[in-house]
Amino acid sequence: MDLYEIRGGRLDVIAEEGELSRESATMETFNVAADSGGRTARDVSTFQRFSVGTNESLRFEPCEDSTPSPTGAEDGCDDDVFKEGNDESEIISIRNRLQGKVVEMENFAGHLEEIFLTVEENFGRQEQHLEQHYNDVLQTLSQRYDERSAGLEEEKKSKLEALYNQLLDCGRALDSSKELIETAQEIYRSQDKRLFLKTVMPTIKRIEEYAKEDVDLTLATRLEFNTPLGDLSDVKTMMDSINVVPAPSAPVINPQMPNSATQTSLRVCWSLFSDDTVEYYELYYRPVLEDTPADSTCAPHESKVKVKETHCTVTDLLPNAQYELWVTATNTTGISPASEKALYMTVPSPPVIKQRECTSCPEAALIRWESGNTNPVDSYTVELSEMGTDGTGSGITESIVAVPTCQCLIQLQAGRRYLISVRAVNIGGPSVRSGDTTVSTTGTFFHLLEDTAHPCLSISEDGFTIFYGDEELPISAMALDDNTFFTRCVAVLGDLIPVRGRHYWEVEVDDGTEFRIGVAYEDTERNSYLGANSTSWCMRHILSPSRHKYEFLHNGWSPDLRITVNPVRIGLALDYDRGTLSFFNVNLEQHLHTFHCHFQNYVQPCFSLDNPGALTVHNGIEAPEYAFI
Amino acid sequence: MALTQVSSNKCAGGFQKVFEHESTELKCKMKFAVYLPPKAETDKCPVMYWLSGLTCTEQNFITKSGSQLAAAEHGIIIVAPDTSPRGCGIEGEDENWDFGTGAGFYVNSTQDPWKTNYRMYAYVTEELPKLINANFPTDPDRMSVSGHSMGGHGALICALKNPGKYKAVSAFAPICNPMQCPWGQKAFAGYLGSDRSTWEAYDATVLAASYSGPQLDILIDQGQDDQFLSASQLLPDNLIAVCSEKKIPVVFRLQPGYDHSYFFIYSFIGDHIKHHAKYLNA
Repeated sequence: MDLYEIRGGRLDVIAEEGELSRESATMETFNVAADSGGRTARDVSTFQRFSVGTNESLRFEPCEDSTPSPTGAEDGCDDDVFKEGNDESEIISIRNRLQGKVVEMENFAGHLEEIFLTVEENFGRQEQHLEQHYNDVLQTLSQRYDERSAGLEEEKKSKLEALYNQLLDCGRALDSSKELIETAQEIYRSQDKRLFLKTVMPTIKRIEEYAKEDVDLTLATRLEFNTPLGDLSDVKTMMDSINVVPAPSAPVINPQMPNSATQTSLRVCWSLFSDDTVEYYELYYRPVLEDTPADSTCAPHESKVKVKETHCTVTDLLPNAQYELWVTATNTTGISPASEKALYMTVPSPPVIKQRECTSCPEAALIRWESGNTNPVDSYTVELSEMGTDGTGSGITESIVAVPTCQCLIQLQAGRRYLISVRAVNIGGPSVRSGDTTVSTTGTFFHLLEDTAHPCLSISEDGFTIFYGDEELPISAMALDDNTFFTRCVAVLGDLIPVRGRHYWEVEVDDGTEFRIGVAYEDTERNSYLGANSTSWCMRHILSPSRHKYEFLHNGWSPDLRITVNPVRIGLALDYDRGTLSFFNVNLEQHLHTFHCHFQNYVQPCFSLDNPGALTVHNGIEAPEYAFI
Repeated sequence: MALTQVSSNKCAGGFQKVFEHESTELKCKMKFAVYLPPKAETDKCPVMYWLSGLTCTEQNFITKSGSQLAAAEHGIIIVAPDTSPRGCGIEGEDENWDFGTGAGFYVNSTQDPWKTNYRMYAYVTEELPKLINANFPTDPDRMSVSGHSMGGHGALICALKNPGKYKAVSAFAPICNPMQCPWGQKAFAGYLGSDRSTWEAYDATVLAASYSGPQLDILIDQGQDDQFLSASQLLPDNLIAVCSEKKIPVVFRLQPGYDHSYFFIYSFIGDHIKHHAKYLNA
């Protein structure tokens, strides 16, 4: 209990390891003291790590890697062992234990030595500090003394000068009166009465005149010196402050550390000057809003957290936002100035992969995502892992960093399956991962660009079957013609990956459906029929009363061609390198036609229905060997 | 079965050769051309038989069609036989360009005086393949047939009469329905006699109507400005109608501006060899 109290009195300082460790230290020490009572030797073996945080503080807590204090039961056991004494193995074990104790005690001695050194050092520093302080006081006093004595000297000099001048004046008056007296006596002693009479009158006049002059014989200066009371309050303060803890200086706030932020929290660290004693810190923070002027009165209100450690995790923040933080230190004497303001940033929210806008082919995948953040982020990181045959990921195999936009074309290997996810990154660090998307590089995979669909065209929920009902065209739909969607041909484009390789997909149609399928440049005229212009190439099926007619249209022209078996599943093979677009009857593996054209731009698959019906796109399938002979 | 090499010229990295041999079927000396692609030096290659049209010899195809480049690319041996027996001394054999010499029509004649020598069907489907397989690095299981005009007719009947024997078939301006056209009627009457029912065995349109066997994939090119098309000698529509009905896959391409000549063949031979390669190299 004594130990606890003594320590409790001294422990009023910062515990860097936090409140918890301090409490545990308290608990353990208390228990030891209570349980072991007078067994002082044992108590010593409860190692305490002493650490000197500041000049005036001493802190200790149980050393984490030390052996816990043996209990009373163990002690009893030890006694028994000594009594029997003969069993060699017991002795060995005791010896080992004793050796252990020796090591522990050596450690403890080492610790003590360290503490002595620290105390010595602190004492030295304190001494130096006091000396410095007294020197300061003495210097101040001697300066005061010099100032005052110089003032007195000055005053004395001016007083003496005044007295001297008065003395001179008196002398002069004495001389002139003496001379007057002598002149009068001379006249008085004169024998010549006529001369006497002649001169006596002016002389009497002079004497009368002189007598009228009034000689000032009062002292011209005061004899007292003017000595104002010395103001020694500052010296008094200095003297007082020698025994008082100085107010801490401004802490130094650290710049943001990597991986110290989350979406809603920031871990902030700062440091203090080693001589400072700090009771607690106050961390202030507020978001930095870009569109608010610096001097605005509506600047966001600052929040404050009081902590004892030199770090703090601030929570409940906005994602992808910049915060301004500063910290003050306080002790019993006062509050330090604020630290510099540091800018920290929370990490962004995770992006959201747009599954419907991801497209792939055997060599690559194009992944698109939404930022997930309202304000811009620095970049994105795309992570991909190859999936094993059992459908599990095999860890991150590749990351693509510093992707500036919300899409990324990734080179892949054919015939694999990949799990792909995205993180948003700002200076605060990367966000958590977005959800995964699975990419299979078996074949070319794309979704339809629903924005391009003619208003009469509807698309199934899975996105791969298009329907053309025979209902009337909604007039409202035609009103907003922004050249995005097809207005004449009941068509829709597909979102083919922009990779100049080989692509294969299939279309399933009904025998009685009139359709156009093929490819078109992305900017193909929306008010024209597919195949009727120079920007689209397509196979067209026409139902005439007598027969099925097939055309392979480009620029409004088709070769004359007869096909005896109506294809209901059509394979399209696009080869940018060779500049070919081939059509196949998949069920028969029959080649139907090949367009030869070196496509200057990327093309998109196109699908249209010329009469009410349906058409289904099959993609992500491996191209048959005959497709690219 | 001894072969005599008549000529050999390096061509498209391989060799264009002509041989002569004593035919047992035709009982006369016959020449045939064979193109050996570079691949044939090391590997067994598939064979495409090319049947030429009226008046042609083995020379027309090898000198005018430009087939060798594509054949070299796809590693296909092309065998082009003559179109009829020659020098058999049959009375009247050289009197007409569309009957007799140069016009064997790829039938086995049943009528005197032609039946001894004019057995071109047996020659191109039996004797010649055996000869070729015995003397050249071929894969006997991979053969196909193509031809032009009368040879197109020959190619179609070879494929339709021997389901599975030919892996692929194609034709340029074939005589599709010889029973219904003047050329065919003249030849069939001469070689097969007046009983029209015997003609049916050599008529592609009739054969197609009763075809059963492995799936065929027939590629036919036809020049739109072909004088024999407008003279109703070729009648492709009849064949297409039957194939449409019987669901026999045909792609028939009417090529605008082209006539019946080898210039037409030269223009599309690449597509045809690719068509054969798809099945021969599968």
